Amino acid sequence: MASKVVLIRGKGVLNGDGDIDQKRLLSMYTRGIQALLNQQNPKENLLLLFRRNDKVGIKINTIAGKMLSTRPEVSLSLAKLLSGSGIQEKNIIIWDRTNRELRAAGYHLNIKGSGYAIFGTDTRGVDYNPRLISHLNIGSLFSSIQSDWITSSISLAILKDHGMAGVTAGMKNYFGTIHNPNKYHDFNCDPFVAELFETKLIMRKHKLSILDSLVVQYHRGPSYHARWAEKYEALIFSLDPVAADFVGWQVIEKLRAKKGLPTLKEEDREPTYLKTAEKKGLGKANRNEVKIIEEEA
Amino acid sequence: MKRRQFFKTTGGISLVAGSGLESLLMNLYAFEEKANLSKVEALYYKKHSDREIECLLCPRYCKLGDKERGYCGVRENMGGTYYTLVYGKACSINVDPIEKKPFFHFLPRTNALSIATAGCNVNCKFCQNWEISQVRPEQVEHYDIPPSKVVDLAKKYSCPSIAYTYTEPVVFYEYMYDTSKEARLKRIKNAVVTGGHINPEPLEELTKVVDAIKIDLKAFTQDFYTSYVRGELQPVLDAIKIVHKSNVWLEIVYLVIPTLNDSQNEIQNLCRWIMNEIGPDVPLHFSRFFPMYLMKNLPHTPLSTLEKAYKIALAEGLHYVYLGNIPSHRAESTYCPSCKNKVIQRIGYQIKKIELKEGKCKFCNNPIPGVWT
Repeated sequence: MASKVVLIRGKGVLNGDGDIDQKRLLSMYTRGIQALLNQQNPKENLLLLFRRNDKVGIKINTIAGKMLSTRPEVSLSLAKLLSGSGIQEKNIIIWDRTNRELRAAGYHLNIKGSGYAIFGTDTRGVDYNPRLISHLNIGSLFSSIQSDWITSSISLAILKDHGMAGVTAGMKNYFGTIHNPNKYHDFNCDPFVAELFETKLIMRKHKLSILDSLVVQYHRGPSYHARWAEKYEALIFSLDPVAADFVGWQVIEKLRAKKGLPTLKEEDREPTYLKTAEKKGLGKANRNEVKIIEEEA
Repeated sequence: MKRRQFFKTTGGISLVAGSGLESLLMNLYAFEEKANLSKVEALYYKKHSDREIECLLCPRYCKLGDKERGYCGVRENMGGTYYTLVYGKACSINVDPIEKKPFFHFLPRTNALSIATAGCNVNCKFCQNWEISQVRPEQVEHYDIPPSKVVDLAKKYSCPSIAYTYTEPVVFYEYMYDTSKEARLKRIKNAVVTGGHINPEPLEELTKVVDAIKIDLKAFTQDFYTSYVRGELQPVLDAIKIVHKSNVWLEIVYLVIPTLNDSQNEIQNLCRWIMNEIGPDVPLHFSRFFPMYLMKNLPHTPLSTLEKAYKIALAEGLHYVYLGNIPSHRAESTYCPSCKNKVIQRIGYQIKKIELKEGKCKFCNNPIPGVWT
């Protein structure tokens, strides 16, 4: 059976200054989740994936600074949808590696206040769980947010070109859950991205991939370079983490072709970890088995 | 302070499976980041277009975009300038016997002020100090201790040398280099304990300011380096040759791991290479492996395997072969290659007797190479 990937376009979601039209964004989410889960009632949609008593982690990506991170509006809108479905606000956390990066991306940290929690692993009292997790080529400590607190996870990643991995999206976003991602960038991050995802702490908790493709860095990533960043105004949804990233990769290749850039394969940095992930049965990474539904919100 | 101790002091360990956000928040107190890292420009790198840089310190040649860190985790590209984050940020400081490094022909029976920062440029699956070597600097507690203070501490504790050790000193190159220069001014020697995964130019510069380098040769096959070290063999062999050609005292350690790098053939090839390229006088230590980090599936090295390696090395003509991590074994001691008498008797890190006079065997006057005073 083919894996479904929903690509929702939201023309005008970014205005001239790059600010977000919140209403438009919300309709992109609603439409995307409806199309993904085939449910008409948006409130009930997310309860197909989560239980009301779940503790849900929204793992965002804030490594590249304000211009190329998961924006607060994007993650908070998703959090709102989750709480609207019946998950308590206090059981939703928006998080990444460090508070410094979260703040630089425009987040107001919320460590003890009411509402959604927003903080990084480096907050005192959080840290990495000291139990070393070993799986094939992976040997890492996991953020206690991922290992101890959350029961379900959404990877809300930025879609970017990556100098070593080729593409960084939903699966590689989980590099931000471990203490030593710097050790997993050899060989185009292959097999590390797939093997990290395969660890119980990730695979059993991951429920949904959403690729923030409002602005796509299609070349010279993962840093922000305005010259190669396209206002793409889309969100990509899938329950299949490999298929979501596979479609993200195709988006990047299309943008590169449009700008006359060589393919990632020609630059010797094709995201081969997706094939590895497919071989492991983590999802689909081929055109014949990925069904793309593209809609305008 | 090591990582394990650090967890105990921060309360991070109090989080247990099944705890929820409320209990998590109860464990949090005044928000505080642990960072406080250095921002000292790295010595060896090249700037490229679009704020990209290429690190030239080690054979990885990490190419990094803005805000990215190298494989070592302790160097970061900030807006097209490459910085070391660990200059003056030692995470471990101890006074150790020099024999612990091990150096057997370098200032025996003295202590070395031993320092390390976080980080490493390889990822050995059998690392003994992974809790500080395989982490980023903000993940361990560290001391603010600039080079001058390190030298002061060495003097305070009567250490005639400073050892750069525990993790991989190549990754704190600038800190080690400046400390070594200051130490020399105060007549303190410098000893480096490294995996030798460093490029020729920085290594040659380093040999101008340090006195001894011990290189951990992890195996003698590239396959082992690929699978268990995540590094390359050839640059390490090149580093050994560079140190040998310099005026710096060299010793080599080979950790013998059952089934992975302990074949007779591999040990023989290693010894022949040393004989051909370096000569018989470089001390070679065969160390016993103990299961740890990501390699807990193998037993410790049998004594018979180590003794076999010892015999092979002697048969190949090496003069100073030692067995490590086996306290009281006769192969911990130094024997004069000429008259075969014991000239330094060791038990573990303790020196029981030194039978040398001005660097020569007391019994037959044969020179024993090393830095003895």
